[in-house]
Amino acid sequence: MSNEKLLSLNLKIWRQKGNKEKGEMVDYRLEGVSTDSSFLEMLDLLNEQLVEKGDDPVAFDHDCREGICGMCSLMINGQAHGPEKETTTCQLHMRKFEDGDTIVIEPWRAKAFPVLKDLMVDRGALDDIMAAGGYVNVNTGNAPDANEILIGKESADLAMDAAACIGCAACVASCKNASAMLFTSAKISQLALLPQGQVEREQRVINMVEKMDELGFGNCTNEAECEASCPKGIDISNIARMNREYIKAITKTRS
Amino acid sequence: MVTRLWLYLNSSIVKKQIMGFTGLFWCIFLTGHLAGNSLLFIGPEAFNTYAYKLTSNKALFYTAEFVLLFFFISHLAMAMKLTIENKIARPDGYYMKQATGRGSTFASSTMPYTGLIILVFVITHLLHFRFGPVYMITHSGVEMRDVYRVLVEYFQSPLAVGWYIFCIAAVGVHTSHGLWSAFQSLGFSHPRYTPAVSCISKIYGAIIFLGFSALAIFCYLQGGN
Amino acid sequence: MSDVKLNSNVPEGKLQEKWDNHKFKSKLINPANKRKFNVIIVGTGLAGASAAATLAELGYNVDSFCIQDSPRRAHSIAAQGGVNAAKNYPNDGDSVWRLFYDTVKGGDYRSREANVYRLAQVANSIIDQCAAQGVPFAREYGGTLSNRSFGGAQVSRTFYARGQTGQQLLLGAYSAMMKEVHKGKVKVHTRQEMVDMVMVDGRARGIITRNIVTGEFEKHSADAVLLCTGGYGNVYFLSTNAMTSNGSAAWKAYKKGACFANPCFTQIHPTCIPVHGDNQSKLTLMSESLRNDGRVWVPKKEGDKRKPSEIPDEERDYYLERKYPSFGNLVPRDVASRNAKEAVDDGRGVGATGVAVYLDFRDAIKRDGEQAIRDRYDNLFQMYERITDEDPYQVPMRIYPAVHYTMGGLWVDYNLMTTTKGCFALGEANFSDHGANRLGASALMQGLADGYFVIPYTLGNYFSNEGLMTDKVGTDHPEFEKALSSSKERFNKLLNINGSKSVDSFHRELGNIMWEHVGMSRNESGLNQAIDKIKALRSEFWKDVKVTGTEDGINVELEKANRVADFLELGELMARDALKRKESCGGHFREESQTDENEAKRNDQDFCHVAAWEFTDVSSEPVRHVEELNYENVELTQRSYK
Repeated sequence: MSNEKLLSLNLKIWRQKGNKEKGEMVDYRLEGVSTDSSFLEMLDLLNEQLVEKGDDPVAFDHDCREGICGMCSLMINGQAHGPEKETTTCQLHMRKFEDGDTIVIEPWRAKAFPVLKDLMVDRGALDDIMAAGGYVNVNTGNAPDANEILIGKESADLAMDAAACIGCAACVASCKNASAMLFTSAKISQLALLPQGQVEREQRVINMVEKMDELGFGNCTNEAECEASCPKGIDISNIARMNREYIKAITKTRS
Repeated sequence: MVTRLWLYLNSSIVKKQIMGFTGLFWCIFLTGHLAGNSLLFIGPEAFNTYAYKLTSNKALFYTAEFVLLFFFISHLAMAMKLTIENKIARPDGYYMKQATGRGSTFASSTMPYTGLIILVFVITHLLHFRFGPVYMITHSGVEMRDVYRVLVEYFQSPLAVGWYIFCIAAVGVHTSHGLWSAFQSLGFSHPRYTPAVSCISKIYGAIIFLGFSALAIFCYLQGGN
Repeated sequence: MSDVKLNSNVPEGKLQEKWDNHKFKSKLINPANKRKFNVIIVGTGLAGASAAATLAELGYNVDSFCIQDSPRRAHSIAAQGGVNAAKNYPNDGDSVWRLFYDTVKGGDYRSREANVYRLAQVANSIIDQCAAQGVPFAREYGGTLSNRSFGGAQVSRTFYARGQTGQQLLLGAYSAMMKEVHKGKVKVHTRQEMVDMVMVDGRARGIITRNIVTGEFEKHSADAVLLCTGGYGNVYFLSTNAMTSNGSAAWKAYKKGACFANPCFTQIHPTCIPVHGDNQSKLTLMSESLRNDGRVWVPKKEGDKRKPSEIPDEERDYYLERKYPSFGNLVPRDVASRNAKEAVDDGRGVGATGVAVYLDFRDAIKRDGEQAIRDRYDNLFQMYERITDEDPYQVPMRIYPAVHYTMGGLWVDYNLMTTTKGCFALGEANFSDHGANRLGASALMQGLADGYFVIPYTLGNYFSNEGLMTDKVGTDHPEFEKALSSSKERFNKLLNINGSKSVDSFHRELGNIMWEHVGMSRNESGLNQAIDKIKALRSEFWKDVKVTGTEDGINVELEKANRVADFLELGELMARDALKRKESCGGHFREESQTDENEAKRNDQDFCHVAAWEFTDVSSEPVRHVEELNYENVELTQRSYK
């Protein structure tokens, strides 16, 4: 922390007024960026300067700035959430960059994620996938005592690994096919691993996959860029599990 | 019911599983093909007799050919469909896109290209050998096609050997990712075995490449005799 | 105007029976009729999402609004440590009564007994409900749920999911809500900000929202409005709240007649990553659970600039362990925070800025091994390293208190209804259960209790008592048009000031005033100054703020300006409330009221009450109403964690 330095940066940022308008890359020069500041604080600084000049600040999504809400996004130098492993953009710090660097900043790109403005995109498609089955159908008040459902530590831990997904969609952004399989499989895995999820296990995977396909996401080609870009380190074994769950579900005979 | 089935077949998962299944089938075929062709090292008689036995039951032979062709075309058609769909899924590309270095590999990112090379290769391969010149020879009193000669003759041109090795390299690279990928698509994943599958997949690709290349070079070297 | 009566509507009977009696006496609405009622729920955090899910399950039509791009982003997601319940699974002597008692005591006797008891009662059901939803709570090897201990309690009653309990509980509530979205019972409106509440015939009947994407204003009507909009900690500019967390929705309700209770009760969380520079946009909290294994210390000597590893044990002051031997590092948050400030004020702070104390894991690593510590806290340690570039496995963490939670909020009765009929407040947005200080892992408990288990009963009772089945109001009512045009006017006004200073610069300045005078320790002259400074800043804001862009489309500056304008009023109310409460209690420390040992000294004689403020006009003083707190079951004692 005491090794604070100031950086001068060249920024290339995607600017697009609205969903219907055409966008373009615009160059900015930014001086005096502290290496202790986060990537988003760097953008705050740029925006403060833009506002001072009376220009329209760059719109980007962000909220908690603790790496958990999943709202921040950004393709930084062609990588989702930037170069750091298992780090969201809001937790990426400028000490990872060098003085004089050029940084290219773009929005997530996918047919299912229309750009709203500049770097903001609409990720509502992920909510649609969740609504298709990412839950246990249990109404409030129906629950048995929590300790009546015994869950082995290993299953609980694996389910937690999958449940750690923050829904930021870096998996979609980094996938060369804009596939949402890692996101979808994480939820399917979590519930398939837990006894609570068993009753709706088959229908869930069918419905969620169907919805995912319908929304225009691409197909997985097993390149694992999603896993590599995931700020929460969600494993592609979840995708394998979903593949397995799906084939089991569609071949299962119903009595 | 039929529409349900159609929906399942069109789901992103089943499409990938068809890719995986057909690919895996071809990997098995390649293994057999390499093992059988290794009889070349023993000599003309062993190899020709093997080829003769393989083709003597015509019904079985044509069925096998048909199945191979069917799987090949399914794999190819599905690959094209997936590639087109995947392009549509991201209509506006990135200004800059870099791999993380932690996920995709050379093999995984070049699958469509190595696949295209393999397509051209398979066609020329069939033209040169399956539909190539027919010489007859008699081994142990049975008249059969002298496939050995066809091979040796073909591989006399260093250009042919070079092209062959190039194509086989594509096959090796393609399968080194494809084999593991098929397991992943079919849902086989286990913390203990998956790393092994990934490793075996690479070894498999290397064996295919080295094995078939050795055969081509062997044939080339037989030219002097 | 001042005919407000603070009737808490606490039911008669013994404490243990109040809630059951109340539920039984509450009028019901027949299932077929529930679909005739519409409910607006603003906010999709734990309280909002759980209320939306549960009310929709019952059959009500729910319109749910959130400011983010998805309901799953609400800031409840950032809670790390856990959720309390008196399950007594560890067999260590816990009970509903003890949870109730600890919460009342932790809140320094400024909360309503009946509400807190109900909270403790339903807490167990929360755990059951969440487990049934598939929330992956931590488990023992035998498959049962795991517990850990938290500040302010001597039993292990905190359930957790790694360091992401808030996330997992929120995703549970969110998925329960999405299940109702699928059934068509909940309609989620994302990227919408509530900009006004609409009153018709003395009842809240709808809201005006601004669509953040298009900039258009929309009218929404309903039979009740539930504000689940969280706290107002961002009034301090730097806090652990999310960037869009704001007080505006509650503030609009306040201006429409809902009293604002105990606004000065803010919680300063002791374990946050210290401020590093001027461009910093927010503070990051490290879960309180760290205090289970970490030991807090500063050097004994003033201005000791040696590296921590070079300071031998005998020259370290483990001040919490020294001063509070029975609770040690696990004293409640307010106590831990104030002691950190004291150490820093003594010149014994550490790090480059000198505004931090150490939280050291050396001994825990020595005792349990690095792997054990890694299993418990690895994600927190990683987060710390990412932000500070220091490895807490090697060097002690540096921490300092930061604004984290606001116990104050809209005044609500036992039914969670504000003084404005039909307007309910749930979760952090209300004032009810935490008194002057909230215990760790109690926020998640309260948000979910309100949403899953309280509002479903009390809302039906309201509907049926008010006869709202036939009395319907649509958005064509003139009051909606009036509210819409006044909102538009306000936004236009902000755009047209065209001054010279950015919105953030006003916000930062307000934050400085608040932190300086209405922060961890407060006194009369400081509070008076704060009121004057805020007034001056507010009038400067309305003359000199610069908001770029236009009213259509996404305009982040305009959104921020609207929120900061409200903070500039709310900050003043906080200072006023702090000024009038001439006692120290919980998170509110008045320098004039302390014991000889510099501990907070309550004044139960004069201040054992809730102060609820009624809006009159921006330029005139609000009216302070009082709800006396009667403790029938708990004896008021000076809190002691020694």
